[in-house]
Amino acid sequence: MSSIQLRNVTKRYGQTEVVHEIDLDIAEREFVVLLGPSGCGKTTTLRMVAGLEDVSDGELSIGGRVVNDVAPKDRGVAMVFQNYALYPHMSVRQNMEFALRPLKLDKSEVNRRITDTADILGLGDLLERRPAQLSGGQRQRVAMGRAMVRTPGVFLFDEPLSNLDAKLRTQVRWEIAKLHKRLDSTILYVTHDQVEAMTLADRIVIMRDGYIEQTGTPEEVYAHPRNAFVATFIGSPAMNMVPATVREGQLAGDHVNLPVPGRLADRVAEGQRVTIGIRPPDVSLVDEGTAGALAATVEVTEYLGNEALLDIRIGSHEMIAEVPASRRPAEDSRVFVRFNSDAIRIFDAETGESVNA
Amino acid sequence: MNKLGTRQTILVYLLLAIVLIVFLTPIYIIASSSVKPTPIMFQKPPALLFSPTWDHYIALFSDRPFAKFIGNSLIVALGSTAFSLTFGSLAAYAISRIKHRRMGDVAFWILSMRMFPPIAVVVPYYIIFKTVGLLDTPLALIIIYSTVNIPLTTWLMKGFFDEVPTALEEAAAVDGHGLLSSFWHVTLPLAAPGLAVSAVFCFIFSWNEFIFALMLTGSNAQTATVAVMSFWSSDAVQWGRIMAGSFIILIPGVIFVLTCQRWLVRGLTLGSVK
Repeated sequence: MSSIQLRNVTKRYGQTEVVHEIDLDIAEREFVVLLGPSGCGKTTTLRMVAGLEDVSDGELSIGGRVVNDVAPKDRGVAMVFQNYALYPHMSVRQNMEFALRPLKLDKSEVNRRITDTADILGLGDLLERRPAQLSGGQRQRVAMGRAMVRTPGVFLFDEPLSNLDAKLRTQVRWEIAKLHKRLDSTILYVTHDQVEAMTLADRIVIMRDGYIEQTGTPEEVYAHPRNAFVATFIGSPAMNMVPATVREGQLAGDHVNLPVPGRLADRVAEGQRVTIGIRPPDVSLVDEGTAGALAATVEVTEYLGNEALLDIRIGSHEMIAEVPASRRPAEDSRVFVRFNSDAIRIFDAETGESVNA
Repeated sequence: MNKLGTRQTILVYLLLAIVLIVFLTPIYIIASSSVKPTPIMFQKPPALLFSPTWDHYIALFSDRPFAKFIGNSLIVALGSTAFSLTFGSLAAYAISRIKHRRMGDVAFWILSMRMFPPIAVVVPYYIIFKTVGLLDTPLALIIIYSTVNIPLTTWLMKGFFDEVPTALEEAAAVDGHGLLSSFWHVTLPLAAPGLAVSAVFCFIFSWNEFIFALMLTGSNAQTATVAVMSFWSSDAVQWGRIMAGSFIILIPGVIFVLTCQRWLVRGLTLGSVK
């Protein structure tokens, strides 16, 4: 296992800068997920770590060694590609052998590693098949196996689940999590799927437009998003965002009028334009006349089993509330909802920065 | 596909028969004439039934060192093919992978080598090879044929390399392989059908070439095509030997193409990238 450090790492294509002075420390054995929408620079960052893209500026170290000018083959990394990139003219066994060849191991060790890896991944019966004869899920396993046999210090995953169907995705996600425990490797994993990130990561790095927006554990980025972008990107369904203005200790918006939560009172200024953030489970149904109750219309209800999602309208705002399924109201009915004031987050409307600590 | 009616079927077979007759008649004439006794060779109508003789073949190999000329042809054709495939595919790989705005110009420049008529440069080549002492050597022909074959191979192989996903080479790179290893073990095997096509073209061109071989070789490096024509002199045309030689010349080309065909039709199914 190796640690990874990025210091002011920048990537430019000609005049266009796509990754801007990124700083990131990944500890040994840590599972870090780069998360962001497409075009945010996460894959480019991963490819720089792999050595498939040059670092335009800054310093990249793996295991304490600066590797800016080190060829991919000498970095001690292994990578699982989004499209698997299996060698089509080689059998599963040969794919793994080819990855082991540069290590110059003796024959028995090569066979032992291939057998062990095949056992772990359930590839035992497929070793003599060509990639074309495998299903998508099997190819995905082979791609992981090919990376695993090398027992690299650093594992890189580039959206490894994006070509799998939903059911398989959940299953392979579990397997990756188990593998991490077993392998003891440092893992850098790229995805645009926040569920993958939340379930797998020790730490999530949220990127946008080539900048790191926030780094933290899944709990931190969920509970304490640093800005409106992170707040809406993490969590499903997304956090509701309601524009408002601070007036005389109230958050005043269209058909919304809430007291500024006490803990945030001295963090906002009179007249400041803000965005109120509230997650769907923190919007609850209350009786008319309850303090802080807001009148709403239920437009659509989505039944999910235990919970139901309500698409509600408050004035001009559309929002989602998550309520116990047994209590879901009828569509088109008028209801009253209340925001859990402990869960309210306030973001500056100009900068998007959170005013919560 | 629609099933053909009886009439169409007959028409199709008729057309096929015509095509076959057009292509196979010369070969039949060569093959039959090569074993016909000289007196009946030009009989009209042609003698279809006769007792074959091997005299022409025996004379071919006893009058002249024809085996040596066949050997020369093989050396020149295989040498030029190997040389062209090696450098053509390396050049093609570079053109396919290096992103540079002038790369198109380089590729065009390589293709432009094929644009002038080869006969135009026979005399300069003669002078050059005479000066450097390569006249009447197989190496001289290998060099000349390669100047024609390398551009062809480069262009053919570029197309095949373009089809090989770069993700596979990236996978090889992170798997610990250098550029040459990844080219040799990953890219080239996947472009094998291209190599087979190139090899067939290079071999056939080099094997059949006549003008350069005639001008630049003498008794030492003479190739089979030129040797056959030497039976056509001002005194006499020894048709039997010419036919026997021609028939022998046909054989290696057929063997070579059949050998390469295995790779042409093997059709690697790309199951690598989704």
